[in-house]
Amino acid sequence: MRHYVVERLLYSFLILLLISILIFVLARLMPGDPIHAASMINMDLANKDIIKELQHDFGLDKPLYLQYLYWLKDFIKGNWGVSFGSGEQVLTMFMRRLPVTLELFIAAMIWAIVIGFPFGIISALKRDSWLDVFFSSTAVLGVSIPVFWESIVLIYIFGVYFQVLPPSGFVPFSESVLDNFLCMLMPGFVMGTHGAGLLSRYTRSCLLDVLSQDYIRTARAKGLREITVLVRHAAKPVLIPVTTIMGLAWSYVIVGSFFVEYIFALPGLGRMAANAIFARDFPVIQATLFITAIHIVCMNFLIDIIYGFVDPRVKIHDPA
Amino acid sequence: MIRHKQNNSRKNSTDGQQWKKPSVLRSLFKHKLSCIGLIIIMLLSFMAIFSPFIAPHDPNEQDLYHVLEPPSWNHLLGTDDVGRDLLSRIIYGSRVSLTVGILSTLFSGIIGIVLGLIAGYRGGIIDMIIMRITDTFMCIPGFVLLLVIAAVIGPGLINIIIVVSVLGWTGFARITRAQVLQIREMPYIEAATACGASGLRIMFRHLLPNSAAPLIVTASLSIGSAIMLESGAAFFGLSIQPPTPSWGKALRIGYSYLEIVPLFSIAPGLMITLAVLAFNFLGDGLRDILDPQLRGARERNK
Repeated sequence: MRHYVVERLLYSFLILLLISILIFVLARLMPGDPIHAASMINMDLANKDIIKELQHDFGLDKPLYLQYLYWLKDFIKGNWGVSFGSGEQVLTMFMRRLPVTLELFIAAMIWAIVIGFPFGIISALKRDSWLDVFFSSTAVLGVSIPVFWESIVLIYIFGVYFQVLPPSGFVPFSESVLDNFLCMLMPGFVMGTHGAGLLSRYTRSCLLDVLSQDYIRTARAKGLREITVLVRHAAKPVLIPVTTIMGLAWSYVIVGSFFVEYIFALPGLGRMAANAIFARDFPVIQATLFITAIHIVCMNFLIDIIYGFVDPRVKIHDPA
Repeated sequence: MIRHKQNNSRKNSTDGQQWKKPSVLRSLFKHKLSCIGLIIIMLLSFMAIFSPFIAPHDPNEQDLYHVLEPPSWNHLLGTDDVGRDLLSRIIYGSRVSLTVGILSTLFSGIIGIVLGLIAGYRGGIIDMIIMRITDTFMCIPGFVLLLVIAAVIGPGLINIIIVVSVLGWTGFARITRAQVLQIREMPYIEAATACGASGLRIMFRHLLPNSAAPLIVTASLSIGSAIMLESGAAFFGLSIQPPTPSWGKALRIGYSYLEIVPLFSIAPGLMITLAVLAFNFLGDGLRDILDPQLRGARERNK
């Protein structure tokens, strides 16, 4: 087991390294050279010698691999650069906006579990009935619906037409608990839709898989009640893969937050990233990209480890 | 990613019956959801091909005296912010979405299949390199990367197709490789090798045709996600530029006028949803028909 964990850890670091190279290359390709930008403002800088000197100061005259190493070192130390737009340190911007996005994520997860799980269980138990067709197609709809459209439709129905929920805006939890709850209701639902769809489909297929196993037939043959069979025998093997799916769904949640926070005017990370894309604010974009990737690599690592502990059939050298 | 050894035989609904090879098309028509998907796709394609004949107005004709009008007999869905007929723009908009969906799936399919074939057939260090690159791409959410690259190389239809293709190949590569690994040891491949067939011939004449089923499924699902990616990029103003009609673009502009003319943003969004839904229905149906073993594999590989 220790061998397995170490191998997964090394693998995750390798992937992170490759990602950092990819992002570095992208950052190089991004338009906008700080020294050129500075020389536009300050005409003194048009002098070639001064430009050379500045390039030396910023380390831009060094070979590319050294530039990459410096860049990586800065990033690890938390020096993510300064936003073109606000002139703030990107790290401080991140930290300030993180709580909003975390709250949104939690709301999304709750919605996804509350909707997705029962839907999946019901359609597996009532397999091929009209209920199954209805719930399964709802699940496909949940995966297919673009978040921006769903947000707009919900805003129109509940915010503009019936006027029961605030159409957009954010009230911090510390100011008013009720208002905070109300303004998180719609964004959380929209963000949770995709997860709910995934969860319901996956729960259905896993449960069907498990229910066709021999030990379930044995349990039923012993005369156990159906509910006991489900809770005592079928629940565990279904829950493990389903939990991992929720882990993977996070990566989607990050993308969803771009649109949802933008449309609902929530001051979170997604809105910051969306604005950065509109304004071509590259330091912010680059940091977002890196943080997202790190997040997903960590999630994958955790999932692999959980799998390794729970399911001894997982084999690291399995070619498939 | 998770390597889950699947040695338990999955049981499907044909258990106990005598197994007969069903015609794919006939099964497709029996599968309700994929049938609906197929019908929607056909309607959309019809719309895209014959848009000049269906559209009641010229999609680019502006009428500044009649901006943001509610639906009327002359303009069935109303007009947009510069007085263009919304219905006509939606009909023409299907062209952009379908073009991006189909072309980028084609390109990413070619990249992914070739890389997957090489990785699976050659194995060893080449396999390792290709798969690590695939894993790297899979750890960055495609859409974020799409926005970044589109911001770097600039907006435009061709650029979006390129970016979506470059991002979409990982799924194809993984599935092709997994298929090849399964087939590689089959006696007929051994026979072909013994006959002196070249590596290229084995890859494209033997391995590829025999791993086609899951690739067709992936292609259908991939068209749906490409349409979604394009409309998302269009929402951020990074896809095709005005005045070409596009659903994502219309939705983005219409959203500012939500309280006055809700249809302006809701109608194009509905079309995006329908298109994505149709390809997902079709893909799911094809998966159920072609390969019952594959169910759930897509979620795991995401």
